[in-house]
Amino acid sequence: MKKRMLAFAALTCSLAMVLAGCGASNTAGSEDGNGVITAFDTEPQNLLVPGNTNESGGARPGTLLFAGLVSFDAKGKASNEVAQSIESNANATQYTVKLKPGWKFSDGTPVTSKSFTRAWSYVANVKNAQKCSSFLSTVQGYDDLQKAGSLKGDEQLSGLKDVDDSTFTVTMSKPDATFPIKVGYLAFAPLPESFYKDPKAFGNAPIGNGPYKLEGWNHNTEIRLVRNKLYKGNVKPKNEGVTFKIYTKVDAAYADVQGNNLDVLDTVPTADAKSFKTDQNVQAYNQPGSIIQMFTIPSNLPHFVSGTQEGTLRRQAISKAIDRQGIIDKVLNGTGTQPVDFTSPKTPGFSKGLKGKDNLVYNAAKAKELWAKADAISKDNDKFTISYNSDGPYKAIYDAMVNSIKNTLGIDVAADPMPTFQEFRNAVDKRSIKGGFRSGWQPDYPSAENYLFQEYDSAAAHGSGSNDGDYQNQKFDQLMDEAYAAPSTDAANAIYSQSQEILLNDLPAIPMYYDNAHGVAAKGVKGLAVDWQNLPVYSQLHK
Amino acid sequence: MGKYLLRRILQMIPVVLGTTLLVYALVFALPGDPVKAMFGDKPVNAAVAAQIRAEYNLDKPFIIQYLLFLKNALTLNFGNTFSGQPVIDEIGRAFPVTIRLALMAFVFEAVFGVIFGIISGLKKGKWYDSVILIVSLLLISVPTFVTGFLAQYFLGVKWRLLPVTAGSDPGFLDLLMPAMVLGSVSMAYIIRLTRSEVSSNIAEDYVRTARAKGMSNRSVIVRHVLRNSLIPVVTYLGQDLGALMGGAMISETIFNVHGIGFLTYQSILKGESNMVVSIVTLLTLIFVVCNLIVDMLYAALDPRIRYA
Repeated sequence: MKKRMLAFAALTCSLAMVLAGCGASNTAGSEDGNGVITAFDTEPQNLLVPGNTNESGGARPGTLLFAGLVSFDAKGKASNEVAQSIESNANATQYTVKLKPGWKFSDGTPVTSKSFTRAWSYVANVKNAQKCSSFLSTVQGYDDLQKAGSLKGDEQLSGLKDVDDSTFTVTMSKPDATFPIKVGYLAFAPLPESFYKDPKAFGNAPIGNGPYKLEGWNHNTEIRLVRNKLYKGNVKPKNEGVTFKIYTKVDAAYADVQGNNLDVLDTVPTADAKSFKTDQNVQAYNQPGSIIQMFTIPSNLPHFVSGTQEGTLRRQAISKAIDRQGIIDKVLNGTGTQPVDFTSPKTPGFSKGLKGKDNLVYNAAKAKELWAKADAISKDNDKFTISYNSDGPYKAIYDAMVNSIKNTLGIDVAADPMPTFQEFRNAVDKRSIKGGFRSGWQPDYPSAENYLFQEYDSAAAHGSGSNDGDYQNQKFDQLMDEAYAAPSTDAANAIYSQSQEILLNDLPAIPMYYDNAHGVAAKGVKGLAVDWQNLPVYSQLHK
Repeated sequence: MGKYLLRRILQMIPVVLGTTLLVYALVFALPGDPVKAMFGDKPVNAAVAAQIRAEYNLDKPFIIQYLLFLKNALTLNFGNTFSGQPVIDEIGRAFPVTIRLALMAFVFEAVFGVIFGIISGLKKGKWYDSVILIVSLLLISVPTFVTGFLAQYFLGVKWRLLPVTAGSDPGFLDLLMPAMVLGSVSMAYIIRLTRSEVSSNIAEDYVRTARAKGMSNRSVIVRHVLRNSLIPVVTYLGQDLGALMGGAMISETIFNVHGIGFLTYQSILKGESNMVVSIVTLLTLIFVVCNLIVDMLYAALDPRIRYA
C-alpha cells in the first residue's frame, strides 16, 4: 500500500521537477540591448526573400534589411538611394541606371549592376514561384519567363543589360513612367551572389544592404535587427536596432504597450478603438493614411451596368446614400477619413479638388432623386447585397453602411458576410458574387498608378489583374497609357487626376473611407512618425 | 498487466489512422484556395500559383494527397509549411512551450483544487466553504477569455505584478498567469468534485470504524477518506491533461504564448493540412496515453480494481 502511494508522490515530484527546469530558462530570456526598439510584427508568411514578400509580416523587417535603387521619405517622395541616376528615354521605354560607388551588402560583398539584374530576373522567372513576379511584367522578356514547362529557373530577363559593374539598362516592353518609383518597392531589392547558392538558407538569414542587418530570427518569436555599419543611404537610424516581437493577436500586443513591454504597435485592436486616444498608459497616433476601403459593384450587375445611364445613376445614388462621416465617427471611432478620390491623402499628386467628388458625399435628397430617375428608366426590385469577409473587422461597418443605404433609399439592401478571407477571395475570383463586395487597397509604392491601373484598367480585368469588377472604359484606359508614357512624374500625376474624374462619375467601386494610420507607442518612446505605408518610421524611434 | 498494455497500444493504431483521415478530410473541405489567399488582394500570377500548388501536392486529388502524407509521415517526414519551414521544426518549437504551460496549469489545478476541495469538504457549511463554493462557481461560469483579459489587465497592466504577455522563450513567471487562467476552470471542477467526495466519504461506516479503533484524525483522513475520494479526481485530472494541451488556444492567444494551440489555429486559417494533421495526431496520442496512465493509477489507488 505504501509503495503505491509512493508511486503517486513520485509522479507529482517529477512534474514539479520538469517545472523547475522550465523556471530556469527565465533568466536566460533575451534582455533588450541599449537603444534597441521593440516593435509589433506577425510571423512572415514566407522566408525573408524580397521578391516573395507581399504581406506586412515580412515587409516590416524586409524594408529595413534591403535598400533599393530609390527610397521614399515619410510622405512617399522618392529620392535616389543606391542609384546615382535613373534616366529615361523620351517615351519611358528605356532606362539607364547608374549606381553610387561603394555600396556593400552586410556580408561585405559589393552591390553591382548584377546584384539588381540577376535578382529581378529571379523574381520574374515563374520557375522560382515568387509572389511579386508580376511587378516585373513591364520589363521586356517577362512573357518568355512565364512558361514554367521550358524553364530551369536561372534564365534572365532579356530587357536587362549590364553595361558595367555600376551601370545597367532596362528595356520595357511598353512605356512605364512609374518605373523609377516602382523600383523602390521591396521586390526590386538587390541580392548578393550567396543568395543563389541556397535561397532557402538565405531566406532564413537574409543578407541585405539596408540600414539594418539581421542578427537573429527565432521563428514565431522574434526577429532581431541591428544597425548595419556598411549602410550609407538616406536613412539615419536613431536607435541601435529594432527587435520585432511576433504576436499572435493584436490585443496581446496592445496590453504589452500599456505595460511598457513593447515600444510600438502599428494598429489598435477593435476593442480599444474607442479608448486608445485617451489611454493614459500609451502615446497614441491617428492620421489620414494610405489604405483606401471601398466596395466594388461588378460592372455587369443587372441594373448597375457600367457605362449605362441607369447603372451610373444607381451607383451615384448608392454612394450618396452612405453617411460616411457618421460611420467613421460612430463605428470607426474616428480612425478613418472621408474619401475624396480613389487613391489616398498619402499619395504624391493627391488632390482634394477633383470634379465629381460630390458623389462621395452623403446627400439623402439627391440620392433619392437619382434612384427615382434610374427607376424611371427600368424598375429595380432586386435585393442589393454587399459581401465581405467576416474574419476581418468589417461587420459593424457593413451593417452601418447597409442601414444607411436602406434608410435613405428605402430599398432592400443586405450585408452578406462570408466566413473567411479565403472563401471570399475565391468567390471574387470566380466572379460568383451577384452584388457589391468589399475591396480595399494598400499601395506597394507611393504612386497613383499603383491604385488606378491595377484596379480599373481593362488590361487588369477578367482575371489578369486586380480589376475584380471588370470595369472597362476606353477613355480611362487611354489616359492610363498616356500617363505611362508621360515625360515626368508631375505630368503623369496630372493625367492620373484626370482619369480619376472619370472614376468619380462612373463609380466602378464606391470609396468608403481612408483607413487612418493609427497605433500606439509606449510612454517614453520618442521620434514617433508614420510613413506612406501606414507604418511607424522604425529607424527614427528612440528612447 | 503487460498483455493489457500491449492491447491498449495496438488499439491506438486505428484511432490514429481514423483521426488523421478525418482531420485531413476536414481541412481539405475548408472553402477557399490557400494558394490564392497568399496573394491577398493583389493580382495572382496564375503560373506562380500553379507552381506553388504542384510543390505542395495541392493539385492532386484528396485521397492521393492523404496517401502521400501518410507515406511521408511513416518516414517521419511531415513536409514543409507554406513558408518553407519543416512542419516538424515548427511543432518542435511550439510543443515544449505548450507542455510547460499545460503542466503548470495541471499542477496548479491539481494542488489548489484538491487542497481547497478537502478544506471545503471537511468543513462543510463554514463561511470559508461558502466562499470557496462561490469563487468556484464564478470560475466555472465566466468564460476563459474574460478571466484572461481581466487577469491581464489587473495583474499585468495595472498592478504590474506579473508579465503582461509570455513573449519569447517564456519562463516560469511568464507562464504563471496564462497557466492560472488555463487551469482555473478545471480547478473549480476539481474543488467541487473533491468536496463532494470527501464530504460523502467522511460519513461512511469504514471511517467511523477507523475512528472507533482509535486511529488519529490525520491518519483517518489521509488513509481512508482521501484515498477513496481521489479516484474520481485522478480520472478527471488524467483526461484533463489531454484537454489542457488542446485547449490552451484561448489562453495562448491572450498571453501571446507561441504554443501548439496557436499554431493549430494559424494552420487551419492558412489551410496547411500537413501541419494540422500532424498536430492533431500528436494530441490524439497524448490523449490516449493520458487515459492509459489514468487506468494504471486507478489500479494503484484501489486494489479492488483489477485488469486481466
